[in-house]
Amino acid sequence: MEDTYNNRRNTTVNGESRIQYIPQEDVRYPARLRVLPGMPKGIYVLGRLPDDNRPSVAIVGARSSSAYGDGTARLFAGELAKAGVQIISGMAWGIDGKAHEGALERGGDTYAVLGSGVDVCYPAGHRRLYEKIPKNGGVLSEQPPGMPPKPGHFPARNRIISGLADLVLVVEARERSGSLITADLALEQGKDVFAVPGRLDDELSRGCLNLLKQGAGLADRPETILECLGICPELKAEEVNEKKILLAKDENIVYSLIRLQPVRLEELTENTGFSVQKMMTVLVGLQLKGCIREVQKNYYVRTNSRIIDGEVFSDCGVTCEGKDH
Amino acid sequence: MFSSVMSAAVLGMEAYPVQVEADISDGLPMFCMVGDLAPEVREAADRVRTALRNIRIPLPPRRVTVNLSPAHIRKIGTRFDLPIAASLLTAMGIIPPEHTGGILIAGEVGLNGKVRPVNGILQTVMLARDQGCTWCLVPEENAREGAAVPEVAVTGVGTLKELLEYLTYPEKGRKRAQSVPDWKEGEKIYPVDFREINGQEGAKRAAQIAAAGMHNLLMIGSPGAGKTMIARRMPTILPGLTMQESLEITRVYSACGLLEEEGLVKNRPFRAPHHTISANALAGGGRYIQPGEVSLATRGILFLDELPEFSRRALETLRQPMEEGVIQISRTDGKYVFPAHFQLVAAMNPCKCGYYPDRSRCRCLPGEIHRYLGRVSRPLLDRMDLCTEVSRVDYQNLVLERKNEDSRSMRTKVESAWKMQQARYQNCPWQFNSQLNAASVGEFCPLGNRESRVMEIAFEKLELSVRAYHRIIKTARTIADLEGEERIREEHLLEALGFRGADQKFWNPE
Repeated sequence: MEDTYNNRRNTTVNGESRIQYIPQEDVRYPARLRVLPGMPKGIYVLGRLPDDNRPSVAIVGARSSSAYGDGTARLFAGELAKAGVQIISGMAWGIDGKAHEGALERGGDTYAVLGSGVDVCYPAGHRRLYEKIPKNGGVLSEQPPGMPPKPGHFPARNRIISGLADLVLVVEARERSGSLITADLALEQGKDVFAVPGRLDDELSRGCLNLLKQGAGLADRPETILECLGICPELKAEEVNEKKILLAKDENIVYSLIRLQPVRLEELTENTGFSVQKMMTVLVGLQLKGCIREVQKNYYVRTNSRIIDGEVFSDCGVTCEGKDH
Repeated sequence: MFSSVMSAAVLGMEAYPVQVEADISDGLPMFCMVGDLAPEVREAADRVRTALRNIRIPLPPRRVTVNLSPAHIRKIGTRFDLPIAASLLTAMGIIPPEHTGGILIAGEVGLNGKVRPVNGILQTVMLARDQGCTWCLVPEENAREGAAVPEVAVTGVGTLKELLEYLTYPEKGRKRAQSVPDWKEGEKIYPVDFREINGQEGAKRAAQIAAAGMHNLLMIGSPGAGKTMIARRMPTILPGLTMQESLEITRVYSACGLLEEEGLVKNRPFRAPHHTISANALAGGGRYIQPGEVSLATRGILFLDELPEFSRRALETLRQPMEEGVIQISRTDGKYVFPAHFQLVAAMNPCKCGYYPDRSRCRCLPGEIHRYLGRVSRPLLDRMDLCTEVSRVDYQNLVLERKNEDSRSMRTKVESAWKMQQARYQNCPWQFNSQLNAASVGEFCPLGNRESRVMEIAFEKLELSVRAYHRIIKTARTIADLEGEERIREEHLLEALGFRGADQKFWNPE
């Protein structure tokens, strides 16, 4: 069975295994786990283990996430990672993957705890992420190498995710979601739980709203989390590099209608009264400036650019002149 | 006595000359037929003998031999009944032999002497013209179709008696020839119109651009959103058929026996094969080869709904016709070339359940969405110049009595864009912007400084492939043509970018 699982690759260098086994007796065994009951006897790791002396935050959420959730997870992970926080997650589809990506994009450290052996990339579609993470953090698992992902492993894996973190942030979760198990475990382990609010009518917000009702912290901005961790969010020189983007009048009208929830072309033309030709021109113009993104054909969302006093800032923009088309 | 009458066999879409020879000689009474005959041709012996007896002309009790030459071509179908009868009547001395020269005859005969329609009459009459015949006798129902060839007189035959009459007194028969239909360009009536669609402005605009440059169009949207409605109306905004195009379409339909009463085809075809279609049915094939859906859609629209559900093998057959406008089928008995100048319009759901990115209904994982989209082969997607989203219309829009642009006014703009392309590509082997190759894009679609800058940013920012880059410029050329402008301007490029084909990132939602 294990041999037929052909997702194993790339785990030996010069015939020597890159996978390390850290037993509980080892000094390198994470201190955060040592103090908790029911933790594994040892941990397999590809890359590094999280630093005991640096703050760490687990970001978890739905696998079938919305564009809003993806954007939020990326934003929080990115901002926290930039402030030196280690991002822990499970490398699953959706929120988990986006959290890792967000951290990597900002040059932060990120750790993935798997429900399979550390040499098994699951889900297989996250191969690129799987290969990047050990270079900027580590892939961890209590399962021996070669173990395929089994349904029973995942709840157990969640206790390690929350155990490694000082704080757990839930981004999007349905009513009965695996992420809520992580949140419950975190509370049992005495960690803080934060949740990102969503719309009331959105199934994907149910879990988070329930958590908030039960007293979880409200994650409105990354700075809130940083404050809770005792890190003073300070403006770094980097932000000066953010480019100011000038928007033309039409572009401003359209941009103001686009949120993190995907908006259709049709809705935009109806709300503005613009013709399709004109709307298309404006939308592509905004895309070229890096203000919005097309998530699916003719569905648009904002990128992580910020508006300050009516002016748009983005750190991923190519500057264009603001001019009406 | 020996006699010979000319007829034609139809293989695939081509007609081949066949001499029907009959000989009545002394010997034991028998009826013998030779010449590589399919069973239904062999049965002609019984049909013709009985039909002749029923019009009171019994065959003499002698040895009758019928040969269909050349013997190396397989004769199929029931079209040889009428020439066999004519040949026998000549051999019996009832029709003067000099009256059957320069005449081509085809048709099926019933036991009561009635003449029934057959397939492939248009190409048969065209062959008669090429062979130097001046007169054709065909079943009455096929006469209008045959009459489209003005050089040859075509007379419809209703019964065997009429055949006898026309061949005995040829002047009488020629006088009854079907009149040549006069061709009015652009004459057509479609039962559907773009006026009937509320909302969907983006998709309508994409359809118009696609029609103006004969670009292939991909529509992505949830089930029941109206993708089929839009596709079905695409032929209504294409300019009218020319006589040449109509003949091309009619030849295909005639060979397949799909021609309706009216003679020449006047509407652009719209073919929407089901996704379970086999590669052979799409490309053409069968035991006796017949044109497939790609040829039936020639000069019109081939609509593939639920694109990812089509078998990979079937979709791969589309690649050659999309490049060359014809499809070649090689078989042991020869090579067949069928026309296939279709415009491809495809539709698909964004994911398995059909509702992504509406997360309140869609719970597909990114991996599942990726797999679903990945079922369509990249080379095929690379040939889709335009891509648009079609989404469900809400109730208010549905019931609203709106003044939507009708097909006629949309067609007027498309026609003017076609005219601009005709003028531009006078000396080129292609007719439409979509057919430009990479080298000629630079020649016919020059970009100014500002425009080049836009494409440069877009190339980096939107991670375009080289192929996509050329596709966008070609589409922008069509948009400029629609506006009647010689120069491609920035907004044309931006709009083309907005409707650009599905690119890598949708297929890789990581």
